Amino acid sequence: MNAFGAWSPPTTQAALLRGDWLVFLWTGLAVGAIVYGLILFALLRWRKRDDVLPRQFRRNNRLEIFYTIVPLVLVAVLFGVTYAVERPVESVSQHPDLVVRVVAYRWGWQFTYPAQRITLDSNGSSTGPQMVLPVDRTTRIELTSVDVTHGFWIPAFLFKRDAIPGLLNRFDLSPDRTGTFYGTCSQFCGLGHALMHFSLRVVPDAAFERWAGSAARAS
Amino acid sequence: MSVLRAEPEGAEPRERFDALSWLTTTDHKRIGILYVCTSLFYLCVAGGIAILIRTQLSRPENTFVGAHAYNQLFTLHGTAMIFLMVTPFAFGLANFLIPLQIGAPDMAFPRLNALSFWLFLCGGLVVFSGVLTSGGAAAAGWTAYAPLSVLRVAGGSGQDLWIVGVLMVSIATILTSINFITTVFIYRAPGMTMWRIPIFTWEMVATSLLVLVAFPSLTADLAMLLIDRHLGGHFFDPAGGGNPILYQHLFWFFGHPEVYVMILPYFGVISEIVPVFSRKPIFGYTGLVLAAFAIAGLSMGVWAHHMFTTGAVSNPFFSAVSFLIAVPTGIKFFNWIGTMWGGSISFETPMLFSIGFLINFLIGGITGVMLASPPIDFDAHDSYFVVAHMHYVLGGGSLFAIFAAMFFWWPKMFGVKLDEVLGRWTFWLMLVGFNVTFFPMHLLGLAGMPRRVFTYPDAGPLPLLNAISSSGSYLMLVAIVIFAINVVVTARRRVPVPADPWRANSLEWATSSPPPEYNFLKIPPIRSERPVFDARHPELAAETAR
Amino acid sequence: MKIGLRLFLSSAAFSLVIALVYGFTTHDPTGTVLLGVMTFAMTFAAWYMIVAEREADIWGDAAGATMREAAGESIGIYTTRSVLPICLAVSVALIAVGLIVSATLIAIGITALLVLLGLLISGSR
Repeated sequence: MNAFGAWSPPTTQAALLRGDWLVFLWTGLAVGAIVYGLILFALLRWRKRDDVLPRQFRRNNRLEIFYTIVPLVLVAVLFGVTYAVERPVESVSQHPDLVVRVVAYRWGWQFTYPAQRITLDSNGSSTGPQMVLPVDRTTRIELTSVDVTHGFWIPAFLFKRDAIPGLLNRFDLSPDRTGTFYGTCSQFCGLGHALMHFSLRVVPDAAFERWAGSAARAS
Repeated sequence: MSVLRAEPEGAEPRERFDALSWLTTTDHKRIGILYVCTSLFYLCVAGGIAILIRTQLSRPENTFVGAHAYNQLFTLHGTAMIFLMVTPFAFGLANFLIPLQIGAPDMAFPRLNALSFWLFLCGGLVVFSGVLTSGGAAAAGWTAYAPLSVLRVAGGSGQDLWIVGVLMVSIATILTSINFITTVFIYRAPGMTMWRIPIFTWEMVATSLLVLVAFPSLTADLAMLLIDRHLGGHFFDPAGGGNPILYQHLFWFFGHPEVYVMILPYFGVISEIVPVFSRKPIFGYTGLVLAAFAIAGLSMGVWAHHMFTTGAVSNPFFSAVSFLIAVPTGIKFFNWIGTMWGGSISFETPMLFSIGFLINFLIGGITGVMLASPPIDFDAHDSYFVVAHMHYVLGGGSLFAIFAAMFFWWPKMFGVKLDEVLGRWTFWLMLVGFNVTFFPMHLLGLAGMPRRVFTYPDAGPLPLLNAISSSGSYLMLVAIVIFAINVVVTARRRVPVPADPWRANSLEWATSSPPPEYNFLKIPPIRSERPVFDARHPELAAETAR
Repeated sequence: MKIGLRLFLSSAAFSLVIALVYGFTTHDPTGTVLLGVMTFAMTFAAWYMIVAEREADIWGDAAGATMREAAGESIGIYTTRSVLPICLAVSVALIAVGLIVSATLIAIGITALLVLLGLLISGSR
């Protein structure tokens, strides 16, 4: 398992997703600091010291308009950042280098490489199958389920997509560094939900070809 | 000043506990107390379940409870907290307060009011009766997603009992909302214009409107689920031409407004308490009212932000509207700060819990804005990051406001004031315990721990963070035990409480503690949203009128 | 115009806008129908308030009113005790549980419900 592995993003999509996270994290910290600062200041500065009734003001139109407009502008900017990140992350290329079909079931995963004639399956183990992908290539994942809704989640890639019966979800993964990454089911699916893991290993082209050859013979 | 001595001469306190009168009551105050007591009971049940959950998760690959038991536990925890605790407490509080706050003798439909309570009570018992069945209670989560919840193996009659129990509670909630809206529209005392009703009552009007438009979607969804389970339906079954996404749309069309149903009343509670302990009027009354309805309206248009990872909805639409909701929520925050600004602030227990609300809810609100961004959701959805977010707003927010409300209105409801020293202990233990329990969950989500798992691998920071989180939950348990001790100890003291122990603002403080059955012997003149304050300070009458 | 009416009218207008924007940007039938039903519900409530409450004037809306002016007005008869609510709730619970567990319970529940509704109606005459 990668602990916070996502902070060195292993796919081009993850790099964008991490950028989105950082924008929101810093904005959140700034907003938090300002608001906590205001609250702390008010509590300290205006502690009850005597029985004199303070000035009973109840409105300040300019101030209220100000703190309506500023957050509105802020969320508009945040939406802009969101949209700019989401479009490329979700775009699927016309000619992926590799296609892998992922089928989720209660309780395991089946990975099929149609072009390479490879089939991998959990076969009852909670560790699950290992999907091997070539680095610096775009892999198309085609995801579905045969029973209930599951979730295909690779935390290090900062990405998940639901595996829904009757629906085929398509997305691209473009890993740009090698490594082994943990995956797990994210959508509650019953008794075996917590034991439905898998992994992903990203290797150079040559290693991928060698693996594909032996995996096809084993399938 | 004599208007505030509302106790009729020679009034006798009720001596013996008359069970039959409680079973047949239609008095809004008693019904409110019944709701409050029942929801506190469910707080203990669901909280106890939470302790079991956190104990199981305190170590990786733990065997304290098995998978099937665990799945029932988190299902019942969520169901009980959402349907049987947070909302009913708010509705009970509103039941007690609304007629008092607007100067009415009771709700518009007293028997309907009582019916709602008993439907809620029976519905909750039906939900939990699943525990007695051979297959166990419902185990598909409080969201009961199809197709999982259609499978008989995921829960036999337990799941069905859950469905009909929740249906009963939903109907009860809808009926109460009708009562609230009608009462506020029709039964206000002379001079109590809509722009002078307390913010709590306004929030309850917005909440009730939300219930009316949202809950029917749930009842339809659950009815369709029953049909799929037992009558050969295929609404959610792709093999029969159905679509699992349909379940999610109908569920979240209810589910998202539901979370605002669970927070708006508590925004109202904070808006009542902060002015009293800051000795200033609520800042930006009109803005707060408009913000409440902006939140309510917008909340009807964000439901699929719970579905960003399905690939089946328009992420940009829902993301945009979800971001918009942050604006009126922020306005409320600034108005509360504006209320404290330039005031004279004291730190009695209700105010401590209100400040705790502000501290916690801000974190929940910020993570909420983060989750409104689908790229963030692609990692955080269905992970402990979301568990952290939801508990910060519901636990750090609503639960803290529940404690604030209890300490504030306990004297009015029961004629007994809770102890301040024990109250402070409760607050600090709860604040520390809550944050120790739930802050690590943000990190757990980022580290790759999904939701609704009965165990997790012994890898990375998961064991340590889970152990820290579980220890926090035991602190929260101690806080609640101290609160229970507070209730028992003060009930025995029998120190009489005046009509207005806090020097507060709204009309409920113009009558005795507790009020007589008919509510008011004499109502003071109403010229602003603070009639009791105005009666105490006639010299300020000109500048405080609305 | 009464605030309640303004509330339902603005809710109806808002619902309409959001239903149209949603329908045209996403072409999703489910959400559009849900938002459309919401629009219809708010419009119905607003229409009813306009039609039924033209003449309604309540003391609560009179900003300068005093208690003395409104004294003596009867605002209705409140039933202070009733055994009907708890009995109705229990009979509904029997039907609900009966649906899952046993048809006999459904029969008992429905019978009880009908009797109680009869009592309710005859009691209000």
